[in-house]
Amino acid sequence: MSGALIDLVIDGTPVSVPPGTTIFDAARITGIPIPTLCHQQNEVPVGVCRVCLVDAGGRVLSAACVRPAENGMKVSTNSDKVLNARHTLVELLMADHPSPCARQQQSGDCELETLARDEGIKQSRYAKRLSPRGQDNSSFVIAVDHEACILCDRCIRGCDEIKHNDVLARRGKGYQTGIAFDNNLPMGNSSCVSCGECMISCPTGALTNKNIVQTVIPGGEQVQVDDLLKLPYFEEISGTFLELNQNAVVTRHFKKGDIICREGEYGSTAFYIAEGRAQVFLSTPMAHVKTEGGAKGFFSRLTSILTGTPKHAADGVDAKRMIRIDAPVDLDFANPTAELGPGDLFGEMTCMSLYPRSATVRASTDCVMYEMLRNVLDIIQRNKTMRAKLDANYRKRALDDHLRTVPIFSSLNEDFIDELRNNVELVRFSKGDSICRQGEIADSFYLVRIGFVKVAEEHPGGELVLAYLGRGEYFGEMGLLSPGGRRTASCTALDHVELVRIQAEDFRHMMERFPEIRENLLQVAAEREEQNRMRLNRATSVPLDRFLDQGLMEAQSLLILDLDKCTRCDNCVKACADSHDGVTRLIREGLRFEHYLVPTSCRQCRDPLCMVGCPVGSIRRRNSLEIYIEDWCIGCGLCAKNCPYGNINMHPFTVNEPDPAAPGRQMAVVKQKATSCDLCMEHEEPSCVYACPHDAAHRVDPLKFFNLKPAVPGRQ
Amino acid sequence: MRIDTTHRPWLIASLVILGISAAMYMPYAMTTPGGPKGGSFLGLVFGIVGYAFMLFAGLLGARKKVPIWRIGRAKTWMRGHLWLGLLSLPMILFHGGFAWRGPLTAVLMALLFIVVISGLVGAVLQHYLPRLMTQRVPLETIYEEIPHVREQLREEADNLVTSVFGALDGANADVDTMVAVVPLVEIEQEEKEHFRELYIGTMRPFFANPEAPGAELREPQRSAEIFASLRRMLPSSIHTVITDLESICEEERQLNRQARMYRWLHGWLLVHVPLSIVLLVLGGVHAVMALRY
Repeated sequence: MSGALIDLVIDGTPVSVPPGTTIFDAARITGIPIPTLCHQQNEVPVGVCRVCLVDAGGRVLSAACVRPAENGMKVSTNSDKVLNARHTLVELLMADHPSPCARQQQSGDCELETLARDEGIKQSRYAKRLSPRGQDNSSFVIAVDHEACILCDRCIRGCDEIKHNDVLARRGKGYQTGIAFDNNLPMGNSSCVSCGECMISCPTGALTNKNIVQTVIPGGEQVQVDDLLKLPYFEEISGTFLELNQNAVVTRHFKKGDIICREGEYGSTAFYIAEGRAQVFLSTPMAHVKTEGGAKGFFSRLTSILTGTPKHAADGVDAKRMIRIDAPVDLDFANPTAELGPGDLFGEMTCMSLYPRSATVRASTDCVMYEMLRNVLDIIQRNKTMRAKLDANYRKRALDDHLRTVPIFSSLNEDFIDELRNNVELVRFSKGDSICRQGEIADSFYLVRIGFVKVAEEHPGGELVLAYLGRGEYFGEMGLLSPGGRRTASCTALDHVELVRIQAEDFRHMMERFPEIRENLLQVAAEREEQNRMRLNRATSVPLDRFLDQGLMEAQSLLILDLDKCTRCDNCVKACADSHDGVTRLIREGLRFEHYLVPTSCRQCRDPLCMVGCPVGSIRRRNSLEIYIEDWCIGCGLCAKNCPYGNINMHPFTVNEPDPAAPGRQMAVVKQKATSCDLCMEHEEPSCVYACPHDAAHRVDPLKFFNLKPAVPGRQ
Repeated sequence: MRIDTTHRPWLIASLVILGISAAMYMPYAMTTPGGPKGGSFLGLVFGIVGYAFMLFAGLLGARKKVPIWRIGRAKTWMRGHLWLGLLSLPMILFHGGFAWRGPLTAVLMALLFIVVISGLVGAVLQHYLPRLMTQRVPLETIYEEIPHVREQLREEADNLVTSVFGALDGANADVDTMVAVVPLVEIEQEEKEHFRELYIGTMRPFFANPEAPGAELREPQRSAEIFASLRRMLPSSIHTVITDLESICEEERQLNRQARMYRWLHGWLLVHVPLSIVLLVLGGVHAVMALRY
């Protein structure tokens, strides 16, 4: 290309520009405005909106943003022909535009609506699109309104050319054409890193910031965006985004001894420790719920002898178990205290999934922390650089603890963990994301770090939930250990989930090097398979409608009282109370089914919704059907709220705690713990049934008891 | 407890014991000069067995105090209580030779009859009443909760009435004033007065004391008539309120029924249990005295 300038005339004004300059740029240099929607100076022009039409003397009008200037060219930007064509184009675009769009409502600067106003278009003469394209609110940060999208591709070019994230593209055909994230996933579930470039690029309200300016984090100091961007934790975040969400992150200064958050409280923020140290602990006593009454001394000992159980049968169970909390550390059951330091982030589950706080955090020294809402945390976690930093931090500090607290991995040695450290991957899933599907090739083994995973088998009658797995639990071993190497169930994220992924090759390597782990895993896999088979047999032995009726068929073990025999003596309730330190888990009221009363007592559901969300994992199954609430329950009440049948009770009790108003003195504080029927698992038969003198109380498998007919011939 | 086919083994065992005892007693009674006596060998055997049966039956009460002790299912104890307790009567009759003899033995015999008969009455009541209660009290609640439920029903009724007719002039001092706003519908003053009179004069006393004799609303028939007349008198727009009030009355009646049945179910124990204790104590005294002197 020669360096000679090109001479052309735009609206009667002579202009000289270098070769390759577009008419749009030539006009801009001359100071002649040409309206456009799809074109931005920092993006490669594509000429899709055609609003920048000019008359360059050809047979048809040209898009100024893509048409290069030519020598001797005479360009008109405001002839009647051009103005009419532009007017029609804008009118056509406005026909489908939901006016005022979100951007117009937020800031009044929707480019299309501004252009329409300049063109004097109040209402389009053309019919609207018949089939709606919908909205996508899955992202915490950006609202997507496909209705307002004019397909200018500015967002796509921003994502691909400017940020090189390659998440956005076009989807569909004809009226259904739109923008898509990854393979047309909801934005929140896609690989979008929430850099905000698409939102900034968008000329309309199709991509707008979810404004949380009104949200205030109490007790915090607002941080200037410039100051925030200097901090290592925030340096990679889009400044524009932080400006738009200035209240979403605040600085908090805590003095030594200050309580930062309390277990059981509901919150919506996460904390990043910038300076100082903090102690994380459980203040709720590790104890059974009991009343002050009940047998004591001699009678208590005699009862223990005669019932064949120690006073607190569960005290010794899993005493070495670690308590999972919403922090980078787990707490030892024997001494549930740990320390957090600079660079630690805690409260992720509370922030991302709005679960109650899992532990109390107190400043051990004077601390500076950044408290943030989930849109900021989401962006940080999505940011590639930050994610790499967090992953590295996890690998360095937490992987070891995490693996060792899973009983089957306790025998792993240092060398191997060091080897794994470089190979494991932290993967994140949003609510509803599929982690793996039944029948797929099993390529990884997963450990749950944050959140809850639903494990379900697909069957023609619907899905059968096999388990809910929380922090510290693992899955994927069955597929990897099976001869076919295929997934035996589908796993779905129930909320914001973070998993530690160990690739199949590393997993196999681990199995070879540590045969005892292989043995343990094979045993666990066999137990899970057996449990799954039993559940499937039960589930397929009744029609689905009856199975779901009143939730009764959801039960694996149902307490029923035959009202034709029951004399209402309440011996069952007394026995239950006597078996559980004076606190009954049974209330003789509930649904009636024929002449049976289904009292308020845990049904040990197949699909135990109560287990989802427990911030410390204290409600769980112990390799059997009964649901057990461990002693480290913090009394947040989420399980009681989740139980659809109201069968979990919150029992208040009083403990003495240091009085903050009077140092050195104690004050009585009312706390609570969840209680639920544990089937008196230390006995062959629950006490309520054993103590019924009238043969009215029974624990039954509802399917067998109500003699339901098999839905699948041949299955029992 | 229902006496059903599951009791058959106990019935058979009891009949066998009774048959063997009778077979032993009859030749003994016919051949002993002066008739059978408690102090004879066989008389003592019958006495010891009879008292042992009574003791076992009496231990049910103690068993219930420690419901979680794994010393046999409570239903087994209950069956033993029923059948062995019943068998103790013929055993003691065989022991005493069907004679009342001295004052203590006469008292013991009378007590035994009363205890066994009250027990039989109790067994019959506990056989039939639970089913009846299940059928006739669909809105059953926990017995101890009845006063609380009644309190709630009373409040609910007051709230319903005030929501339509306005404040009840002192009759509803404890009513939730949030719902006692402006009457929802226009009702003739005369009709309003009539309803208020009926509510304050008839319904509220019934809610306050549903078991009081003579309350018109205690009778379902009379209650139906009262509410039918109310429906005729008042506009159809408030018929749902009338229906709700009628349901509250029905629930009160059911609670009455439940309380009555519950008292029948457990009231006989007031006779049975103390007299059983007296019987066991005096029986022990009798045994000691008879064996020692």
